[in-house]
Amino acid sequence: MGQIRCAVVTPERQELEVTGSFIVVPLYDGELGIGYNHSPLIGRLGFGELRVVDQGQVTHRYYIDGGFVQVEQNRVVLLTNRALPIQQLDAEAAHAQLRRALKMPALTEEQRAIRDRLIAQARTQIHLAGKR
Amino acid sequence: MAKARVLDKRRRSIRNIRKITRTMELIATARFKKAMDRATAATAYTQRITHVVRSLARAGQEVRHPLLVPHETEKHAKLLVLTANRGLCGGYNANVIRLALKRWSEWQEAGIARMTLEVSGKRGISAFKFRRMPIDERYTQFEDQPKFDQVDQLATRYLDEYALGTLDRLDVVYTKFINLSKQVTVVETLLPLAALDTPQEQAAEQPRVALEYEFLPSAESILAEVVPMSFKVKLFKCFLDAAVSEQIARMVAMKSATENAGQMIKMLSLAYNRARQTQITKEIMEVIGGAEALK
Repeated sequence: MGQIRCAVVTPERQELEVTGSFIVVPLYDGELGIGYNHSPLIGRLGFGELRVVDQGQVTHRYYIDGGFVQVEQNRVVLLTNRALPIQQLDAEAAHAQLRRALKMPALTEEQRAIRDRLIAQARTQIHLAGKR
Repeated sequence: MAKARVLDKRRRSIRNIRKITRTMELIATARFKKAMDRATAATAYTQRITHVVRSLARAGQEVRHPLLVPHETEKHAKLLVLTANRGLCGGYNANVIRLALKRWSEWQEAGIARMTLEVSGKRGISAFKFRRMPIDERYTQFEDQPKFDQVDQLATRYLDEYALGTLDRLDVVYTKFINLSKQVTVVETLLPLAALDTPQEQAAEQPRVALEYEFLPSAESILAEVVPMSFKVKLFKCFLDAAVSEQIARMVAMKSATENAGQMIKMLSLAYNRARQTQITKEIMEVIGGAEALK
């Protein structure tokens, strides 16, 4: 099986550059597995977990905070605002954000969108922090 | 011994100043390296996002987005001025402020109904306060390492205002970093957003095999996300450039200050030695004169 190069780039720096045989990225509507020779793709990311699998072992687990993914010629590039190793996720802060978000008003379309985004973000973080 | 002592005192104080400027130069150098690393790290993202846009364009997707379209009338213009929090960096702040004032008066002549001014950096804030210009927003939290999260907040607000129609134009005045020996003060219009990638880059990329991309969920929705993101990154780049340029300006200013201090010490040493010599000669003459008189 061939190797896929996977890079995670944030506006501040290049967070990760590794190779793996199988990559799982969190798309906006669920996870997407990328194997060797995957067809070229540009997709929108949601909040979720990035997993890099090499020789049947999960080598890297990252929390990804939305953005885009580009797949071409066995290179996977994730562009995101924030990427954190799962171990560094702060469950307390996520709980606090969730509590805050649940109290937010949702009267207009924009307010609801912001509220939903914050809730989804917090829930994903809590979920992932519990899994480690 | 009066004159020689004064000279010596001055020489000593200049030595102290030289020590300070030398240290400041070293600090600026260290900070510059850090800021530079951050700026280069950020280019990776810019390149990738340009690549995504290019792939979209090549897939036959017309790059169209509300942010790219100028509003019909320019009623509300906003000027964002990026200065330093600290001085002692040569003409860095003055250049930025001068350019900002120029753009401001241009807008006044053009008759823009509502102009707002946002200033980052204590130096800029006090300069505009001195000219009695109203500052709508002031930021002092951007030090030599601006964080993306901080810039993101600003950018999101601008985007919202532009979308709501309460903002028609955003210009940023900052010092663009070109290379180590060249930094230019520029005014850039960030909203409406200009074309997303430069033609030269595109020409260089042409010979490569065009790949057929699959878009999830669709090219339009990705474009709708990419454009605001590239605006944010552009704004972030402005902040990073300004930070790097500030450190370079300080480095250069402090270097020449150190050199000047060195020269001054040399001159003062000469004058001091001469004064001391004159004093000694004078005293010897007095002693000899006294001895002669006693004979």
